[in-house]
Amino acid sequence: MPIQLDLTDDQALFHETTARFIEAELPREKTREWHERPEGFDPGWLAKAAELGWFSMLVPEEAGGGSVSDNPLADAALVAEELGRQVQPGPFVPMNVALAAIARHGDPARRAELVPAGVAGQAIVTWAATDAAGDWDLGAGVTVEARGDALVVTGERGHVQDAAQADWLLVAATRDGEPVQVLVPRDAEGVTVTPLATLDLARRLAHVRLEAVAVPADALVGGGAEALWHQHRQAVVLNLAETVGAMDELFTMTVEYAKDRVAFGRPIGSFQALKHLMADMALWLEVSKAAATAAIDAVGRDTEDAAEVAAMAAAAVGEHGNELAQQCLQVHGGIGYTWEHDLHLLMRRIQSNSVLFGSPTWHREQLCRVHGLGEEVTR
Amino acid sequence: MSAPTPTAEALEAYRAEVRAWLADNLPERQGPVLRAAHEVTPEQLAEERALQAKLYEAGYLGITVPKEYGGQGLTGAHQRIWQEESARYALPAPGGVASHVTLGIVLPTLLAHASEEQKRDWIPKLLRGDELWCQLLSEPGAGSDLAGILTRATRDGDVWVLNGTKVWSSGALAADYGICLARTDWDVPKHRGLTWFKVPLRDPRVTVRPIREINGSAEFCEEFLDDVVVGDDMVIGAVNDGWTVANTMLTAERSGGAGAGAAPPAAPRGRRRLAPDLVRLAEQRGLERDGATRQLIARAHISDWLQGQLLKRIGAGLAAGQLNPAAVSLVKLRTGIHDPQRAAIAMEIAGRNGIAWPADDDAASAPAIDFLNGRIMSIAGGSNEIQRNIVSERLLGLPREPSVDSDKPFREVLRDAKSWGKRAGS
Repeated sequence: MPIQLDLTDDQALFHETTARFIEAELPREKTREWHERPEGFDPGWLAKAAELGWFSMLVPEEAGGGSVSDNPLADAALVAEELGRQVQPGPFVPMNVALAAIARHGDPARRAELVPAGVAGQAIVTWAATDAAGDWDLGAGVTVEARGDALVVTGERGHVQDAAQADWLLVAATRDGEPVQVLVPRDAEGVTVTPLATLDLARRLAHVRLEAVAVPADALVGGGAEALWHQHRQAVVLNLAETVGAMDELFTMTVEYAKDRVAFGRPIGSFQALKHLMADMALWLEVSKAAATAAIDAVGRDTEDAAEVAAMAAAAVGEHGNELAQQCLQVHGGIGYTWEHDLHLLMRRIQSNSVLFGSPTWHREQLCRVHGLGEEVTR
Repeated sequence: MSAPTPTAEALEAYRAEVRAWLADNLPERQGPVLRAAHEVTPEQLAEERALQAKLYEAGYLGITVPKEYGGQGLTGAHQRIWQEESARYALPAPGGVASHVTLGIVLPTLLAHASEEQKRDWIPKLLRGDELWCQLLSEPGAGSDLAGILTRATRDGDVWVLNGTKVWSSGALAADYGICLARTDWDVPKHRGLTWFKVPLRDPRVTVRPIREINGSAEFCEEFLDDVVVGDDMVIGAVNDGWTVANTMLTAERSGGAGAGAAPPAAPRGRRRLAPDLVRLAEQRGLERDGATRQLIARAHISDWLQGQLLKRIGAGLAAGQLNPAAVSLVKLRTGIHDPQRAAIAMEIAGRNGIAWPADDDAASAPAIDFLNGRIMSIAGGSNEIQRNIVSERLLGLPREPSVDSDKPFREVLRDAKSWGKRAGS
């Protein structure tokens, strides 16, 4: 069962086309070829994926984008789900979120130059959103100051996805204490990208240092704190849709294994101890799909409770995902602990995603803040 | 129950009609939707039966039930409109849980398995509130292993004579009839010798006794059947085919009675409040800024929300035919896991206020009451373990455990069980 029920015919076709593309171009076994390579993915592959519309969905039609339904985030989530199943590399989430923000809040001339190139996969754009430790800071760790006609950007961003391969970084920063975003070319003078070692073998994360990087005034992207929060919610939702795809794949793999593997003269899936474990996993998975569906809907339609629903879904999926991965390993036994088996690829992706845009603990605290519980937090 | 798909205009017109009728005929609800059966006085019962009859006459009970059985023959979409619109009104609930059992569990079972004559005769009475039913299902020696019941129905000339003890019957004190599972053949495997009967609870040879539960109330009853005589017209489904009927009933029960008749409480509209009961408890102890307490409150709030989202997903998946009916066990299982966890969080936040409170402060007893009531759903209507068996076998297709009792005559099962301990210990 797909995560989202009630797909339109167009969505179902798009979902199927996406799955077929991945199967043909970069199925999970082929992603292993990229694990040791620092660049992480082939830009030619990304450009081909762009032809399917992978980077156009969140961009409005008038800015050169477009999607297959009236909830573009739901369409993007269909892709994210498949990326999770096949543990794909690449900057799908940050690039989509960044392009959407540039298309909405960027300078018109810069937008006309950059957005179509991004949508076509010719320019790689990533989102440098979090502080040096990878935490959400609404841009506090980077300052933008005017110097003559230009702007000077100084500070640090952590855990920036695919920064080394990116042409452009959309950097969350502050100007006079107010949250802003600013477009920085990755090869600008003063930009240092230091790749990090990562748990997820297919994901590239880097530390970015910005030392008095000069950019033109039209590099500023507006929208302030509200735009940053909106992008964060979009990223949270796409990220959790990817996780649920990975969970679904891992669980399906596990149930099949339990039916095939024989021990003590019986398929191990006939032992009640394992059946009950798998029943609990089926529940976590179904609950995660339900939570993801609700979050896709709320954030996609930008409802009044979008922030609350995104936080709840992220906390639930993050926690259930990691529990599920552990129990899938338990059912597999020793074979699941080998490098050759794909289990660890999915397990790494699920764990990595569960903290990438805020850990379950962070999202639970966020939920309390959205509801205004207490005034200050005692830590 | 297949009716033509209604147009959006037709559904909107129906909604307007429902809304107008409700506003003219029912007061808005003050308390909870269901009340415990033992709390209903005979006067209240009569009053609420009259209200149910009024609802029935207006065409709002049995909305999806075929017209020939006294229903309206409309679609699930009409039913959902009724549920949405009526959620804030005081719906008649004669006998509290007895009504829920009658319409949510017995009605779908009868629609699927009763004879044409029985359906035409009985179902209008169920819908009107003339007949309240309960289940006579579990026994002191057979709960999870329901097919292991010992109540017997013996053929005597052209009637059946029933003897045995039933237990955990919700609302039996208020009910008029019980739908009773009995063994009619002891020389076949246990699932193949069972038959269902309609049993009059006012019969002098039936004794109904309330059971006092850990929360001090008496929601459930036990019943003693001593030579209760019923005719063939009271047999539901085919003789010895009772397990088929039981599966329909148990599926209806696990789905929380969200079948053709009873209206489950709809989620309130508007903005959610952060687990208000827990926030209140935290504030009483000045813990609303405590990080660990905030995590607990958030956990409970998220779990409450997930419960609703899962129900919504499974409901939609079942309605669209995209899901295996066994998926209702996921909802049942989650409730059985969630309720005790939710209660434990409330007790943790309440701290010592949860174990002792001023004797005249009813509100302060809520965490303790929830602590006790939170145990119900992990057992009632099929324990968590039974739900896990159903999910793993019927939903995931995992193989059954080897069985020692399902292929031999039930008489031998009983005999062999007596020596089981010796064999296991040897």
